[in-house]
Amino acid sequence: MDWPSFFQSLANGILIAGLYAAVTLGLTLVLGVMGIVNFAHGELVMLGAYSTFWLFSLLGIDPMLSIAMSGLILFLIGLPIYRFTIRPILKDPPLNQLLLTLGISIFLQNLAMILWKTDSRSVITSYSGMSLHLGVVHIGLTRLITFLIALILTASLVSFLYKARPGKAMRAVSENNTASWLIGINVQKTYLLAFGVASGLAGAAGALVSMIMYTFPMVGFKLSLKAFCILILGGLGNIPGALFGSLILGLTESFVGTYVPEGSGWAEGISFILIMIVLIIKPTGLAGTRRE
Amino acid sequence: MSRSFSWKTGILLVAVAIFLILYPKLVDSYFLHLTVATFLAMIMASSWDILARTGQVSVGQAGLFGIGAYTAALLYQRLHLPPVLGMLAGATLAMIVAIFLGYLTLRLRGIYFAITTIAFAEALSVIWLMTPGVTGGAMGVSTPPLFNGNREHAYYLILIVLALVIFVVWLIESSRLNFAFTAIRENEEVANVMGINPTRYKVLAFMISAFFTGFAGGFYSHYNTYIIPYEVFGLGISIACLVMPIFGGLYTIAGPIIGTILIKAIEEYLRVTFSYGHQIAYGLILVVVVLFMPEGLLGLWKRRILPFFSGFRQ
Amino acid sequence: MVFGNDGNIRTLLVIEREHQPTMENIFLLQARELIKHFGGLAAVQNVSFEIRRGEIVSLIGPNGAGKTTIFNLISGVHGPDSGEILLDNENLVGRRPFEVCQKGIGRTFQIMQPFPHMTVLENVMTSGLFGRVPKISMRQAEEETMELCQLVGLGDKQKAFPRNLTVADQKRIEIARALAVKPKLLLLDEVMSGLTPTETGEAIRLVRRLREDGTTIFLIEHVMKVVMGISDRVIVLHHGEKIAEGTCAEVANDPKVIEAYLGEHIEELEEASC
Repeated sequence: MDWPSFFQSLANGILIAGLYAAVTLGLTLVLGVMGIVNFAHGELVMLGAYSTFWLFSLLGIDPMLSIAMSGLILFLIGLPIYRFTIRPILKDPPLNQLLLTLGISIFLQNLAMILWKTDSRSVITSYSGMSLHLGVVHIGLTRLITFLIALILTASLVSFLYKARPGKAMRAVSENNTASWLIGINVQKTYLLAFGVASGLAGAAGALVSMIMYTFPMVGFKLSLKAFCILILGGLGNIPGALFGSLILGLTESFVGTYVPEGSGWAEGISFILIMIVLIIKPTGLAGTRRE
Repeated sequence: MSRSFSWKTGILLVAVAIFLILYPKLVDSYFLHLTVATFLAMIMASSWDILARTGQVSVGQAGLFGIGAYTAALLYQRLHLPPVLGMLAGATLAMIVAIFLGYLTLRLRGIYFAITTIAFAEALSVIWLMTPGVTGGAMGVSTPPLFNGNREHAYYLILIVLALVIFVVWLIESSRLNFAFTAIRENEEVANVMGINPTRYKVLAFMISAFFTGFAGGFYSHYNTYIIPYEVFGLGISIACLVMPIFGGLYTIAGPIIGTILIKAIEEYLRVTFSYGHQIAYGLILVVVVLFMPEGLLGLWKRRILPFFSGFRQ
Repeated sequence: MVFGNDGNIRTLLVIEREHQPTMENIFLLQARELIKHFGGLAAVQNVSFEIRRGEIVSLIGPNGAGKTTIFNLISGVHGPDSGEILLDNENLVGRRPFEVCQKGIGRTFQIMQPFPHMTVLENVMTSGLFGRVPKISMRQAEEETMELCQLVGLGDKQKAFPRNLTVADQKRIEIARALAVKPKLLLLDEVMSGLTPTETGEAIRLVRRLREDGTTIFLIEHVMKVVMGISDRVIVLHHGEKIAEGTCAEVANDPKVIEAYLGEHIEELEEASC
């Protein structure tokens, strides 16, 4: 048993799981609070990645710093998207919501293609190639930082939901929005804020993505599918489930990448295969639906 | 509720038929090509609509399209199977795959079904890329020009298949299948309690839809002479399949047809302007349709425009 | 069997079945020791009952007693955790809802669920086209549906869409849909609630006519006057268990029933006459 490879795969899996969790946080928040599966979430991440890239290329701002800026930019973009496209369809059948968010997704993908062409961009900093050595395991510096920031984002979101008033309002609304409205919570504003925060999280995740992966118009689509896989694995609309699902996906991809011949190519397909297997066995996802 | 033909409809159909038969003589090569592409899209749009009638909203038709495309292309490459037979083989294989997929996804509601179909198409794409020995991988597969480049013959072939698809939809609409499909779509549980076997009809719709989508893929591979996984299994195909019928008006015969014509026109205009990203129109149209005209163009016509002409009848 | 255009209801509702039961059983429906849990909750606990051919039996009980669950078990929407359900000696457990329907059970839903994008006529035709064994032609289904709509009082509303109709009319659609399968057993789930006194009277007359023409009827009801007025027998459910069964008089005076309904319908129990 080649322990060094095993531990390396384990480490890589955990690290990438952090990124996936960061990507899925916003999707989980929107699903949990307003019950909508936002098919365009991946594109918001993509926009965050591009925003970090351009801030870096044009203004020389280090990606670490621009995480917050990309987050803010996407927060601001998310607000009008909610107001003008999501709010009107809150009560619509889920299929309408699917088609609408799918439309936004396609629109943004193609907008990115038109504005920035289809070339893949990379964010290369002075420290991009560095790695730490923990015993036999190499840990890329950017990956480690990304993982840590993902943890920070998750912790921040959780603390926001439990300690801050708007956050508590979101939790109340996700449980029962009639009761929440009755006790004086402004449900519409809560929804608006939740979507904004989710977009901001997407933007921040996008900054992380730009550091680890290539940035190109379709990167959002690829990440969306992974995020759906995580939702289905971990339970829809709850954060511990998202973390759990991210871990499963990250580890599976990593181990397949190491141990299966030509695994790095096949690893790309893991999320699809997991989606199909899980849904076919249990049509409501592994942990069932939290809200119907 | 039996559908019967009036004299007027009959004469109109004959006129349209004559026009379509003479069409290749009337237009230049560029427009003929455009028409072939449009007819191909109509087949895919109508096929998607057939499936949607049972409430199964697929965002992964590209999976079936790609299976059809590669079956035809690879069978030609390996066995020199004549193109039309290859297309039929592709259609049949796509149909068989759909039977399996249909049974496996029976219990999936709306969004989960959609996500599974996306995963299906993407999974096929990965499999194709990872098995270059069998499938040609990222390099793709080429075939010689269809009918030695005779676009007229290609036109007539696709016209026949399109006519067949429209006929099939008409058959569905005038038979009890229409009741079954609509009932399942509107309330599957109640339909079940009323004696409708959802499995049978959902899988049937999937099979019919897959057959024609697979055929379209097969036709595309020969007509285009070159296919790669990224394209034929790509999201773009899946989106195109659904935007056209949704834009035109779902669950109708004319809706997918009209939607396709308009979208193809818009697309052709945009394609000249932008080399990539012309599908931006698709996204915009989807958003606009859901927000402002959920019944598509036909719905808009019936509800807003027609009443002006007929004095607000019920 | 003749389906006449003579307007005679008896001819209309003669039951046409592919095979006749070999032994004429007086019990049309037999339920034995049905148990059903949802999550940790016991919705139905060890319920047994029988329904004779031609009876009108009511199923009553406070809210949440498990009545609709029983209907769901009979019609195949859910499978019982254990227990048997026999229709004409044929086992229904494990059959899917459409099979149960084709065996001869028609049901309505408590929350009315007509198909929104179909007209009244189309709604009812759907049942006729698929619930009947052997299958009938489209033309026959259309004719039968038109007659059924007349029967239930929707004659002039056949081309209307359900969303434009009153509550009472939507209930009529539900009943007509259930009747279109020519059921041996008709399950009516709270069809009387929300009706005016006139409409209730019409509904009662309709139920009696259906029974006269050979349909066995099992109904869930809250409106005690109706229950006591038309039922041959009453079954009382409480917390998923059968606590009483018998004629209206027996049930109305049963202390267990009175206790279960304490504060709810006790005035109605006292008022109702059998």
